[in-house]
Amino acid sequence: MSENDLIKASQKGETRILKVPSIAKRKLGQDITDPVRLDPRVLEKMQDTIKSLESKYAEALSEQVTRLIELSDPAANGDARSAADLYTIAHDIRGLAGTFGRPLVGRFANLLCTYIEGHDNIGPLENSIIRFHVEAIREALKNPDSDPNLASETLRALENLIMATMNQTRLAAG
Amino acid sequence: MTAQSLFEPISVLVVDDSAYMRQLLLGLLNALEVGKTFLGANGEEGLDLYRRHRPDVVITDAAMEPGDGFDLVKRLRAIDCTEMSTAPIIMVSGHTDVASVEKARDAGITAFLSKPISAATLYRRLAEVVCYPRAFIETDTYRGPDRRRRDTPFEGVDRRQAAAPQVTLL
Repeated sequence: MSENDLIKASQKGETRILKVPSIAKRKLGQDITDPVRLDPRVLEKMQDTIKSLESKYAEALSEQVTRLIELSDPAANGDARSAADLYTIAHDIRGLAGTFGRPLVGRFANLLCTYIEGHDNIGPLENSIIRFHVEAIREALKNPDSDPNLASETLRALENLIMATMNQTRLAAG
Repeated sequence: MTAQSLFEPISVLVVDDSAYMRQLLLGLLNALEVGKTFLGANGEEGLDLYRRHRPDVVITDAAMEPGDGFDLVKRLRAIDCTEMSTAPIIMVSGHTDVASVEKARDAGITAFLSKPISAATLYRRLAEVVCYPRAFIETDTYRGPDRRRRDTPFEGVDRRQAAAPQVTLL
């Protein structure tokens, strides 16, 4: 079966099922035994890698939060560039903070991203909501060992605030 | 089989616009003793690196510019070379809602890894795609791994089996 045959088959509206060989078998030979469990020594080495990057990331995170604070006002006042930069930073934080032992910072950043993503079609960003989120991120960064109940309540309150604001904006838009 | 000897002959392409994420993934892949790792900052760079180095596995972010992860997956799956277009692709994304995961699946990804990532989930996903390949499906509208994960009983005509004999790549 040549490459051209495969493409022709697809053009005729046919379905083709290909059995793809295992990379492990292709690279290591047909008689390899598949791993049945994760090697704890390797996992430890991976965790050490994360730990070694943690302090460097903490510095960067602190700078990113400072930048979020600077961008809050212009983003809420309609400056598209600032809003885009604010989203990029929040998106970066939501993807990385949890891996580096800052899950709460990541969850607040995730909520801020959710709010901005939901606003693509329904209107301008609200200053107070942006500020509440950025403040929550700043607090979570400053006090990583804060009361988990308080953190959960803050998360829930922000989620509710986002929902209420978005519903209100949708209704106002008709 | 240790992770070291399993991943040592494997090459991986990492595509992510976050420098920290690239650094993190590079460090974790080094810890797994992956033989070669290539780093790209966006979809365009990723495609170029893929064509030049032909890595065994691709790990890509979803949201990037220019050329996001979904676009990169579609372009990789469309390459006119079966060995290259069937390589496992792991998408790493902070967008974990059903719509985003379905969009990634329909673009042709092999596995999804939600951010924030952990050492164990990366290790598990990489071992899965390296050791347990899934059948690859080609139709007019889809080119990628079989989206049916479970081998459950099916009533009616199995159109996939009826339409095409299985082909083994050599």
